[in-house]
Amino acid sequence: MKLLPCSGAKTTSPDIQNSVEDEMEMATVRHRPETLELLEAQSKFTKKELQILYRGFKNECPSGIVNEETFKEIYSQFFPQGDSTTYAHFLFNAFDTDHSGTVSFEDFIMGLSILLRGTVQEKLNWAFNLYDINKDGYITKEEMLDIMKAIYDMMGKCTYPVLKEDAPRQHVETFFQKMDKNKDGVVTIDEFIESCQKDENIMRSMQLFENVI
Amino acid sequence: MAAGVAAWLPFARAAAIGWMPVANCPMPLAPTDKNKRQDELIILNVSGRRFQTWRTTLERYPDTLLGSTEKEFFFNEDTKEYFFDRDPEVFRAILNFYRTGKLHYPRYECISAYDEELAFYGILPEIIGDCCYEEYKDRKRENAERLMDDNDSENNPEGSMPSLNLRETMWRAFENPHTSTLALVFYYVTGFFIAVSVITNVVETVPCGTVPGNKELPCGERYAVAFFCLDTACVMIFTVEYLLRLFAAPSRYRFIRSVMSIIDVVAIMPYYIGLVMTNNEDVSGAFVTLRVFRVFRIFKFSRHSQGLRILGYTLKSCASELGFLLFSLTMAIIIFATVMFYAEKGSSASKFTSIPASFWYTIVTMTTLGYGDMVPKTIAGKIFGSICSLSGVLVIALPVPVIVSNFSRIYHQNQRADKRRAQKVSLSYTQQHLPLTDCTVYSRSGQ
Repeated sequence: MKLLPCSGAKTTSPDIQNSVEDEMEMATVRHRPETLELLEAQSKFTKKELQILYRGFKNECPSGIVNEETFKEIYSQFFPQGDSTTYAHFLFNAFDTDHSGTVSFEDFIMGLSILLRGTVQEKLNWAFNLYDINKDGYITKEEMLDIMKAIYDMMGKCTYPVLKEDAPRQHVETFFQKMDKNKDGVVTIDEFIESCQKDENIMRSMQLFENVI
Repeated sequence: MAAGVAAWLPFARAAAIGWMPVANCPMPLAPTDKNKRQDELIILNVSGRRFQTWRTTLERYPDTLLGSTEKEFFFNEDTKEYFFDRDPEVFRAILNFYRTGKLHYPRYECISAYDEELAFYGILPEIIGDCCYEEYKDRKRENAERLMDDNDSENNPEGSMPSLNLRETMWRAFENPHTSTLALVFYYVTGFFIAVSVITNVVETVPCGTVPGNKELPCGERYAVAFFCLDTACVMIFTVEYLLRLFAAPSRYRFIRSVMSIIDVVAIMPYYIGLVMTNNEDVSGAFVTLRVFRVFRIFKFSRHSQGLRILGYTLKSCASELGFLLFSLTMAIIIFATVMFYAEKGSSASKFTSIPASFWYTIVTMTTLGYGDMVPKTIAGKIFGSICSLSGVLVIALPVPVIVSNFSRIYHQNQRADKRRAQKVSLSYTQQHLPLTDCTVYSRSGQ
């Protein structure tokens, strides 16, 4: 079922025609995002920034939505030396807030808005959401280990000094020692935010996101 | 791909939130873009047609003309646009390269014009996308071949040459009959004698009236002396010609191995062999067979006819198609002969006595000749016979168009080369008769 090709970002009616039947249909699906004004109101970006972001977005994904494959492809171009597919998978799930299996421009903008222009609280919240793979409100050691391994894979084998095999596991231990206050084996959102706010390094790093765009 | 993906850089940086809380040390500062301009549109005026694009689009490839500061040389202060006095059609493809990261080759463009444009804009042809790369390479090869042909024909100038020794003059006379009148005379004389020889061979066998009391004689035996004299004269001429060519050839070894020289030798050998072994009853049978080889004199005409040479060259270049035709025909013949033999085994007085005997029927049927000397009598035989004739048409019809198109291509190439040569000759002729003081200006075209 072919839909009409879209004419651009600015449309009067906020129609979201999103039919994702099968792989073949993906090529002909056209997704029209919300209007520019609406997005400007919902996110913390200016109109010009939204225009630039949308142009880049549409260039890579003419159909208007990103599926996990494309997401992984794009992300791996930034980290050519390692295998970033696992981390990209977690990232994708974090961006895909409504768990539809695709990331639309609105999801993309919402995520970026929080990460680049949000408060420290919001950023930490987002990071917690990223780590909590099954979205149950708790970060277990297994989830953390998965994330850590994904990050180490992404950095690749060409690090200096060369990392040991169990470096991820040790890293997780350190993390849990720092974050898990009541030593119950899981980290809740409050423990996470509290521990991060106490850590100077993390706070300083958070400030760096201001001028990314 | 880096071009479009660069727009996702903010996203990649934002994703760093993932490893920040687990990092052991603070994150390094992200590099800030100094002199970060607002993205602006620039206008590219190519021979009057205006193209517009973002500045950052062009800057994706900084080692090309449009991506570097080299384009400032073309900036027009009055109209505030970049003016290029080049082809706007090709520019479309070039600008699309900046936009999409893939360089396409439009099929209707001339290959050398396209190459020139690419060279002007500083783009290497190697980055042409896979979709168009085959076409580009094919056209480039064709062009190179055509240029080589031109250069070859140029290297045989018709103008005044430094004096050659006798051997080289003779060789040139043999290869290009129109260089001197002597060569032309020689050319026509040999042609005439080839024709005479072929006609005598043919007329020799015609029945020529009866000697009273005897059966009808062919002319060859009735006027044996006359025919022998004619034959001798022809062979004399051919021998002299062959020896002269052998003497004049720049590389004797290569000349001896060439096809034309082999034909020459085969044409005159039977006569000499016949002289050597006269009236020896045992081998006269073999001697008669040798006379068949005299018909090869007709191939000597290929020196005189370009069409014949082209045909020979085509057959040589289509050797694989011809081989395939032969192979598939052989397969089909064997299959059908076997089938027909077993189908006709039952019928009485069948002509299909063995499988090799059925070969004849199969060949005659597949080529749709249908002599009718062997016909199947059983119903099964007739069915298979009809299948055989239908498949014969198909199998033969398939490789033939390939051979035809090859012939056509080579023929047209030759025609083009001839035309160009004729043009050059007429050009040099007019130049010779114009009162020019400086002849080197028009000495050879293309130099």
